[in-house]
This record gives sequence, C-alpha cells and structure tokens, in this order.
Amino acid sequence: MMKTFLLSFFIFFQSSFLVAQTCCSGGIPLSNNIGLAILEKGAFQIGINYDYNFLNTLNNRTEKLSDNSRLRTTRSVLLNFNYSFTNNFSLEGLLSWVNQKRQITQFGNENNDETSGVGDGVVLLKYGLNNVFGERSFVNVGIGTKVPMGSSTETNKQGITLNADLQPGSNAWDLIYWSEFSRTFNFRPSFNFSTKFIYRSTGINNSYFGDSSYKFGNEMQLFLGFSDQFLLFEAIINPSLSFKYRNANQDEIGGFQLENTGGNWVSVIPNFSINIRPNIILSTKAEIPVYSNVDGTQLTPTFRITTGFLFIIPSKNEFQILN
Amino acid sequence: MKNLIYFMFILILISCSESKENMIPIDRSGLNEDVGTNNNPPDNSTTSGWLIPISEVKDGGPGKDGIPSIDMPMFLDANDPVTNYLNDDDLVVGVVNGGEAKAYPHLILDWHEVVNDIIGNAFATISYCPLTGTAFAWESMVNGVKSTFGVSGLLYNTNLILYDRSTDSNWSQMGLKCVNGDRIGDEPKLLDVIETNWGTWKSLYPNSQVLSQDTGFNRPYGEYPYGDYKTNHEFFIFSASPSNSALPNKERVYAIINGKKSKVYQFEKFTGGIAIKETFNGNEYVVVGNNEIIYAFELNESQSALNFQYEFDNSEVFFSDNEGNKWSVFGSAIEGPRTGEMLKGAKSVVSFWFAVAAFYPNPIIYQ
Repeated sequence: MMKTFLLSFFIFFQSSFLVAQTCCSGGIPLSNNIGLAILEKGAFQIGINYDYNFLNTLNNRTEKLSDNSRLRTTRSVLLNFNYSFTNNFSLEGLLSWVNQKRQITQFGNENNDETSGVGDGVVLLKYGLNNVFGERSFVNVGIGTKVPMGSSTETNKQGITLNADLQPGSNAWDLIYWSEFSRTFNFRPSFNFSTKFIYRSTGINNSYFGDSSYKFGNEMQLFLGFSDQFLLFEAIINPSLSFKYRNANQDEIGGFQLENTGGNWVSVIPNFSINIRPNIILSTKAEIPVYSNVDGTQLTPTFRITTGFLFIIPSKNEFQILN
Repeated sequence: MKNLIYFMFILILISCSESKENMIPIDRSGLNEDVGTNNNPPDNSTTSGWLIPISEVKDGGPGKDGIPSIDMPMFLDANDPVTNYLNDDDLVVGVVNGGEAKAYPHLILDWHEVVNDIIGNAFATISYCPLTGTAFAWESMVNGVKSTFGVSGLLYNTNLILYDRSTDSNWSQMGLKCVNGDRIGDEPKLLDVIETNWGTWKSLYPNSQVLSQDTGFNRPYGEYPYGDYKTNHEFFIFSASPSNSALPNKERVYAIINGKKSKVYQFEKFTGGIAIKETFNGNEYVVVGNNEIIYAFELNESQSALNFQYEFDNSEVFFSDNEGNKWSVFGSAIEGPRTGEMLKGAKSVVSFWFAVAAFYPNPIIYQ
C-alpha cells in the first residue's frame, strides 16, 4: 500500500511538470513536456495531453504595447511513452500533433494563416538516483534529442511557404539536457520540493525557404516547484505551484542573429491533478507569465493551458502489489 | 467529486478549442467604403496566377496587415518643436503634390511601411520597404477606383508586396506592378518621391509637414527593428537574386529605372554637388544632387539643349541652367524664362544596391 502511495505521489509530482513551454514563444511545447517518472523496472507510462498556447500580448522589451491585433495560437496533442528498463534507467518518447495559427485582426478585417500536422518528436534517456543528497532526495538526469518528424515546408492557401514560426516541424535535430532534483520531508512526507533544469541546444534547418538556414535560439528553462497531496471526497488530489524561468537566445537566419526573437520570461504555474483511478491521473494546469523581457518587439505568451491523462501500467510485480 | 473534475476537464477542453464564436470580434463600424473583405484570397496556388515565381514569394512572418499601414496620418509643421524627435540626419521620404510638401520619416515607416494619405487633394499611397530601403508614392487608385493599400506580409526578392483593399490584388513595390489577383499586370501611377535627410528636406521645404508619431499605433519609433541589417552587407533575412558584387550589398544608391534596365548613381560621387547630363536606354536625363540627395529628370528635346548646374543654397532652388532658369528639386522652374515649366521626374528610387541588382539585373554604374 505504501509503495502504491509513493508511486502515485511521484507520478503526480512528475506530471505537475507537464506544463508545456515552447521551443519558441509560439512554437511547439516539446522540450519541457518530457520528464515522466523513472518507475520500477518494467513499468510503462502513457501520457496524452492537450496544450493550448495563446499569444496575444505584444511587448517591446518589458513594455506591453496597447495592440491586440495579432494573435498566435498553438494547439498541440502530445503523446508520451516511458518505459523503465531498470529501477534507475528509463527511455521516454514524445510524439506531437500540432495546429499553428496566425490571426491578424486589423482595419475591420481578419486574416488567418494556419498549418496542422505531425510535429517533431523527442527521445530521452534518463537515469535516476535516490538519496544522493540525503534521505528522501531524488536526482534524475537525462539526455535526448528532438527528432525532426514534422513538416517545415507547409504553405498557405496560395501555396506560399510559411515562415519557421508557423511550421509544425523544425527540420533540425536538437540536443536536450534534462535534470531534476526533488526532496520530500519527514514533517510531511507528501510535501515535495523540486527543481528542474532543461537546456536545449538547437540544430540548424539548412533548407529554410530552400536556400537559407534557420536556427531557433538555444533555450534554458529552470523550474522551482512545491506540491502536496490530499484526500478529498475519497479522491487523491495533488495541487502544486511552480515557478519557471525561461531564457531563449535570438534565432539565427543565415547565421545572423534575428532581431525580435528570444528573451527572458518568468511564469507561475498552478497545477491540479487527481487520481481518477489508481493508475490514471488527470492533470490540468495553467501557465501565466508574470515577467516578460523580450528582445525587441514581439508577441509574447498571454497564457497557456495544458490538460491530459497519464496512464500507468505497472510492472508485473507492481500489479501484484496494486491488487 | 470525480464527476465534478471530469466536468471541469471537458469544460476546459471546450474552452480551449477555437471556433468562430470565440474569435476576437471584428468591429466593422469604421470601415472605409473601399475596404473590402480581405480574407485570404482565393486559391491561386499555381505560378500562373502570378507574374513572379511563387516559389520566390516569401512569408515575411508578421502576416497580412501584421505590419499595419497608417490610414489616418497626422502631421506636424516642420518648425513645430514636437518635430524634435527627428535629427537632421534622419532619413525621410518627401513628396510634393499640388503645392503641398510632406515628409515621412523612415523611423516611422520602418514600423508601418505603408501610409495612405491625401497630398494636394490627391489620394496617395506612400510605401517604404525597410529590407530593400526603397520608397515609392503612387496614386491610391485601382482600376479607376480609390483604394487604400496595406502590407500583404509577403516579400519578393526581400521586397515589400502591397495589397489593395479594393480587389485584394498583390502589388510588387519595386516591380511597380500588380503581380497577382484581379488587377494582375496593372501598373500604378507614380508620384515623384525624394529621399533625403530631414535637415536637407527642411531646407528645401521649410513649410513642409511631417508625419507625426501619433499614428494610432503603439510602437517604439526610433528603434530600428532589424538590428544591423542596413549596415551589414552580408546579413539577409530573405534572399534576393540575382546577386551582384559590383558594390556592397547595402550601399544606398540612386537608380534610374527604364524598362527592365537601370542605371545607378553612388552618393559619394556627388559630393559637393554636381549636375550631369546622361543618355540611358535611349532617353536623355539630367541627374543632379549632392552626397545627401540625388534626383533625375527625363529631358525633352527643348530641355536637352540646356546646360545645368547644381545650385543648392539651402533654399527651394536646387539647380539652374544656362538660360537663367532656377529649378526646384522636383524639377519645377521657379525663376527665369521657363518659370512654371516642369521637368519630368525620372522613374527612379533610392535603394540598397542588392535590390536594384535583383530587380533590374546588371545595372550600369555611373563612373
């Protein structure tokens, strides 16, 4: 029973970080939508999430400009798989389907450009260690790559190729470095403190518009989170609150830095999860920017919502315990 | 409790799914009569619908009207203290029509690219492409009907493509032609445009008006939005071809356009002020200017006999001739026996060198 409790706890904790941030501000939430828990050997997890990123805030550096005529939305369906080969080692994969939309409402008219399709994927190898920094502490590290599975040459209705920001895929391999530390406490074992660090070293699309190159800026994300667990009307619920700092370098085109890309953001992420079955978790979270300092003038996220399920298929041994 | 959570989950999913009902409502109350519905044009996915290769038409990023034109421009008198947002060396696009002189600073045009205005009682569209450094003014007419123009969000040879709001046709700025849509093949009627710095323009037209920063849009005017683009000769956001290494890519040059050919004049060659007579592509021109301003005029038979001299003395007089006529920078005879006569402004533009070379390949360079 205790083991089941801990299993659920860590799944809750991990899933609290499924809040999606983007490869670019309007892009696809891949790099931080990874990091499912390393469970007992043989355990398998499947996560399916819907992510909605709404960008309607035009900033010049930290100043919000009074102009809401531009709207960028990214809707993604994200499918995670995670298999634990040992108690410390697991492999995770992420697949995505993406809808990107740009809407300009100006002069009484509305102009839309939109693409949809399979997005890029991620493969991540993870290794976990317990009690390295004292009892009840957990350290996980991982390295992975973003796999360019999505199209980067989608066109508008006229057959004109859209720019990188609106493409479902990037046509570039990225390296992803991932690590996290978490700790629980004797005074309240269900209370958890955690940090997570993700660095994405981006690759180059060498066939951008056929004759140019494009590189999204390298990206760093740092999370700081607190979560706890309660029993409410016979259901285990897991609220959490996280803070995220994100830094993105300027994109590069043809090897030159591109103005009005990149910046620094701080967001607060409230999350609510519930065990709707012993091995099914429903999670919903919002990401609300509290500080945006963009390079130049650019659209910056207004809010993001992510919701989805996590299914856990325990190892055979675990089944016995659960039963 | 679990049912309640399920209900909330479904509710969130529904609220996140876009539909026509939850899009931003459109206020159509302020529409001009000539503003049509410019939803994306019908599918012209083949090159046959374009006069230019569709594969070379690029999505600039901001989208159609993502860079908003200025449709209700406000102006200040040149001597108004509020114009101190301009330095004397800031570049402006100057137009004179019907006795009215107006200046449009680059530092505002960088953020809007198109101004729909009335100059001397004529509807005029002033366009400026920051990526090619080119400005034109043309009558705001499409098929005989007044129309405003906007920024299509598309580029050809890294140059602005405008669209008209009457027919939703696309117009290549440097190509000076409608390249797609109902008005394909149409050419705009050009107005003469001078590009120079604010100090020079004020000397020429002290009673000029200048576009106000009160544009109706909240933008950081004065911040150039493209980094070192205009000085870094190797930096391109979009490609243009053919390339030509005869001059540095981003050198500002004055180009006379005649048919598919062009002749280019470097500002440094005009230091101190000169007036030269040229024959180019079967036409005679006088090209006059200094290192801040150059303009050319196509000469008729009578005017071809004149000998011109540069004579800019910080007044409206810009050059003179051996008959004793004094001419303005727009080619109007201000004094002398030909007072009131107009020289015909050449079809011309100030541009980054690479753009002239891309649109009018193998331009001749004045030596």
